[in-house]
Amino acid sequence: MGSSMDVIMDKLKILADSAKYDVSCSSSGVGRAGSGAIGSTTAAGLCHSWSADGRCISLLKVLFTNKCVYNCEYCVNRRENDFPRASFEPEELARLTIEFYRRNYIEGLFLSSAVEVSPDYTAERILKAISILRYEYRFTGYIHAKIIPGVSKELLHEIGLVADRLSINIEMPNSESLSMLAPQKKPEQIFAPMKQITNTLIERGALVGPGNMFKGQDINTPANMLGTDKLSYDNALVPFRKRRDGTAFAPAGQTTQMIIGAAGESDAQILTTSENLYKTFKMKRVYYSAYIPVVSSPKLPDIKGAPPLKREHRVYQADWLLRFYGFTVSELFRGPGDNLDPDLDPKVMWALRNLDFFPVEVNRASYDELMRVPGIGAVTARRILRARRMSSVGFDELKKMGVVLKRAKYFITCRGKYRGDRDFLPETIRSAMIGMEDGLQMSMFDSNWNLMEQGAAMEKLSESGVI
Amino acid sequence: MDYLYDGSFSGLLTCIYHHYYTEKATGIFTKDSYQMNLLNDVMTVETQQDKADRVYDALEEKVSHYAVTCIYKTFLSSVPDKEMKILRFAVMAFRVGPGITLMHGNDVAEGVLGAVKAVGNETEKMRQFVRFAQLKGGIMYGRIEPDHDVTELLWHHFTERFSFQPFIIHDVGRDKALVAYGREWYITDFTDEDIPEYTEEEMDYQQLWKDYFDNIAIKQRINPACQRNNVPMKYRKHLVEFQRVK
Repeated sequence: MGSSMDVIMDKLKILADSAKYDVSCSSSGVGRAGSGAIGSTTAAGLCHSWSADGRCISLLKVLFTNKCVYNCEYCVNRRENDFPRASFEPEELARLTIEFYRRNYIEGLFLSSAVEVSPDYTAERILKAISILRYEYRFTGYIHAKIIPGVSKELLHEIGLVADRLSINIEMPNSESLSMLAPQKKPEQIFAPMKQITNTLIERGALVGPGNMFKGQDINTPANMLGTDKLSYDNALVPFRKRRDGTAFAPAGQTTQMIIGAAGESDAQILTTSENLYKTFKMKRVYYSAYIPVVSSPKLPDIKGAPPLKREHRVYQADWLLRFYGFTVSELFRGPGDNLDPDLDPKVMWALRNLDFFPVEVNRASYDELMRVPGIGAVTARRILRARRMSSVGFDELKKMGVVLKRAKYFITCRGKYRGDRDFLPETIRSAMIGMEDGLQMSMFDSNWNLMEQGAAMEKLSESGVI
Repeated sequence: MDYLYDGSFSGLLTCIYHHYYTEKATGIFTKDSYQMNLLNDVMTVETQQDKADRVYDALEEKVSHYAVTCIYKTFLSSVPDKEMKILRFAVMAFRVGPGITLMHGNDVAEGVLGAVKAVGNETEKMRQFVRFAQLKGGIMYGRIEPDHDVTELLWHHFTERFSFQPFIIHDVGRDKALVAYGREWYITDFTDEDIPEYTEEEMDYQQLWKDYFDNIAIKQRINPACQRNNVPMKYRKHLVEFQRVK
């Protein structure tokens, strides 16, 4: 590469710098043995390193270009922001991806972009780059492509046939904050591609849905199709049938991302939006990013404030409750203005508000009931079910199985015994819990994203069918 | 009676055979690690493939294939007293059957299951952390230094991924390597003298990766504790992105 190496180095610095605020780095959701010249994917995903902020690095996460015609208030790439700009050439980016991949630095490519010229112009360039990667280098590793709102249906479809995962950022939890902070992005433009992706996956019988939310249900039915396409299917003369035509369309599904803490919405509103996204589009995940002031604007919150990392952490915990633990937003909140308890894990918060549900006898409770006990997760719930087929379980066995007894003991009985050794009242349990969270809090705060990774491990298990 | 064996897997299985047919083992050691003492009788167990096969087949038939896998992974581990852990596990497995691999609450079962977990975890770490460099001649070469002997467990993941790229994964601590090309692979002795030179562009790509790695971190969220949890210091030695001095 020689002298052009310096050029690539500069571009990479600029375009990685601009891409780092995208949250997702997951390489999960599709398992594929290597069938091309280079590459394979693992259903569980694979991280290759962790950067100084503790976030995992799985994919080469870059923007195709950071030259943007839009002027979104919160965005580092907004047109009026004066800072270095660059664009990759499709071939350059494909080569770089391959060279990183064969050194085992990455699992694949996460390609996003600012909007250069127009959404379609940018999408065509993205398509070109990932097509070179797939068809010229015959790369079968992971590709996550960001879809830019306003892109034409045909281009979106073409990109979906090349990429493993697609995402469109919803950006803000509601349309008011969107119109205030990203006036050039319209809700219809964001939802149209989301609908199209979901519909295409249903047509192909390939929609999986988030976590365990739709486990055991067939969600690939015409009734689940969205918008106008649904009409055409209902009226079709040929009966609806699953189609599998060989070419996978976005086999790892779609995700989205929203910024929290930029426009004054409550946690209940944020998670209601997520729940709607999960139920309507059945997307794999919603990512959250604590608002980080990268540009100053009179419309944005005080730029000196630290990003609300702890809030982000609690929102993620609640999100997991929705996808894997069978909780609904209406159970978690008392009203649309309600927020999560900053001092307590949302599951503990729920448990304290619903003490009549407890204590649960671990030797009789169903899987779903066990999943509601703080200190018991999917893996330990499974182990309990398995172990008690042989004999009843006591506290010692629970401990060995990995149950966090110091939390769980307030909410369970074992063979009729209760070990909470306090009054069974919300306030006494709460203060005991906060005492323990205080010790825990520092470590949780430090390893915020590590906890997310453990969550990701759960997702792994569920996707590989273990849970 | 203390058993001394040659450190091979077949050797260990032969020990299990003798435990049943000769005299019960009180300890199993490799020949070079054993300290003679006056308290215990010692027997040197010669590895016999037919006896090893009988134990292997019996485990597979009467217990499960998975139990054999667990025993093998424990054998690859560096957990203390792994031989006796395996022996006790095997004895119990013949008694309780395939359910043993679910008995996390039981100390004997957990002795092996814990080692299996540790080996599995480190295998996963190595899948993440092997860093290949391009050698002249086009071979990709990666150095690792795992606690457990997980090198051979990496073959499937990497041959599937890099089927058209010859590669070597070198366990520096054990002087051995996984050598693979296409779907073929083998384990061989390997030392630093066996490594050819890197290509010229290799350093450029390493520099690109380091630049990328530094740039991708969000400054407002710097979190060294979290980073350390995920990338333990002991593994950083062979990670390109953590090398600071040129």
